[in-house]
Amino acid sequence: MSTEEISDLIKRVSLRDRRAFSALYDRTSAKLFGVCLRILRSRAEAEEAMQEVYIKIWQRADRYVPGRNSPISWLAAIARNHAIDVVRARKPVADGIDAAVDLPDDGPGPEQAAIMSGEAGRLGDCLGKLDQNKAEAVVSAYMEGYSYQELADRHAIPLNTMRTWLRRSLIQLRECLER
Amino acid sequence: MNGDENTKAGKGEDDNFAAAEHVLGLADAETRAAFARRLETDRALAEEVAGWETRLSPLDGGYEPVTPPPALKAAIEERLFGAAPEETTGLARLWNSLAIWRGLAAATSAAALVAVYLAVFPATTPAPTTVQLVASLEAEGAATQLLALFDPGTGQLRVTPLSVQPVEDRDFEVWFIEADSAPISVGVISQHEHNTVDISEALQRAIHEGTTIAISLEPLGGSPTGQPTGPVVAAGQANLI
Repeated sequence: MSTEEISDLIKRVSLRDRRAFSALYDRTSAKLFGVCLRILRSRAEAEEAMQEVYIKIWQRADRYVPGRNSPISWLAAIARNHAIDVVRARKPVADGIDAAVDLPDDGPGPEQAAIMSGEAGRLGDCLGKLDQNKAEAVVSAYMEGYSYQELADRHAIPLNTMRTWLRRSLIQLRECLER
Repeated sequence: MNGDENTKAGKGEDDNFAAAEHVLGLADAETRAAFARRLETDRALAEEVAGWETRLSPLDGGYEPVTPPPALKAAIEERLFGAAPEETTGLARLWNSLAIWRGLAAATSAAALVAVYLAVFPATTPAPTTVQLVASLEAEGAATQLLALFDPGTGQLRVTPLSVQPVEDRDFEVWFIEADSAPISVGVISQHEHNTVDISEALQRAIHEGTTIAISLEPLGGSPTGQPTGPVVAAGQANLI
């Protein structure tokens, strides 16, 4: 799956090219389904989210700016955003109902492996310079879509402390990446 | 550093953090929705968000692909395109898409109103006939309006800008688009003047009722890639009068 190929397909989708849309779906749906499943932790919800995500991709393809982000990251951002919106819109009582879905639970997920193996490149290096629990908070917020409250609960610290952690960590990260 | 600069820097930092917060997805539903609305109009903020998306995107490598159920694709395509034949998508859908295209055309702030007049050889008719086609489309706040006329007698496409806010250092490029194919470049035209474009015989055969004619904003001299690279500022579908 070449970056250029995906980029080209998105461009063609922006011109209402249905064949390109079909090809784009074939090449990217597994990745985006992985994103939706990870954040929503429910197959049913993830499938529903995928419909909305690909409809957004069809509608917003013209906003893709080649060269800035990898096209797959642009698509993943749409999927992450939508999945997080769905999670945030849930009634509190619905939380955890589908927790029994056959997904790897928390703990060092594949992203940790990716960071360890250097796949995350400079970002991985810079995360490595943060305190471990703070780096984990950043990574799990991104990967799992946790809210401030969920992160605070998991780390057993007050919500405002978590907010401060993240704010400082993100400033440190940005400075490290710009160095 | 004076007070103004401090305030500015403070706001910049706040926006930068709000952007990171948004990309990480930390905030509650209301905050996210309010931020998303701001993003629609605040370009500086959109830049901050794009910056954080770029910084954090290496983490995407951690998402394991999972093949979705096969029925999902059909469900999506049915929702987008319906079960009906493709050409029934009609003008309303085209305009819906134009409303979105308009977003990227912020440089021209082009809401689009396009009329396309065509006279064609119907592709399936062996003897050339002169059948006129028309499509008239409208979007709210219409600002851009062009008229295209294909004359099978001369083999020329005439494109007349009726209402266009010109964008400096850019050209308009005209495309023919069939539902299932990549756009075909017809040629580069002026944003200001009446244009006459000679249409090759092959292209003449490609144009018929239902063909979409689109105009994109391109670098001077036209798209460097052979495919549209800029926003579509106007489009319309060829129809029989």
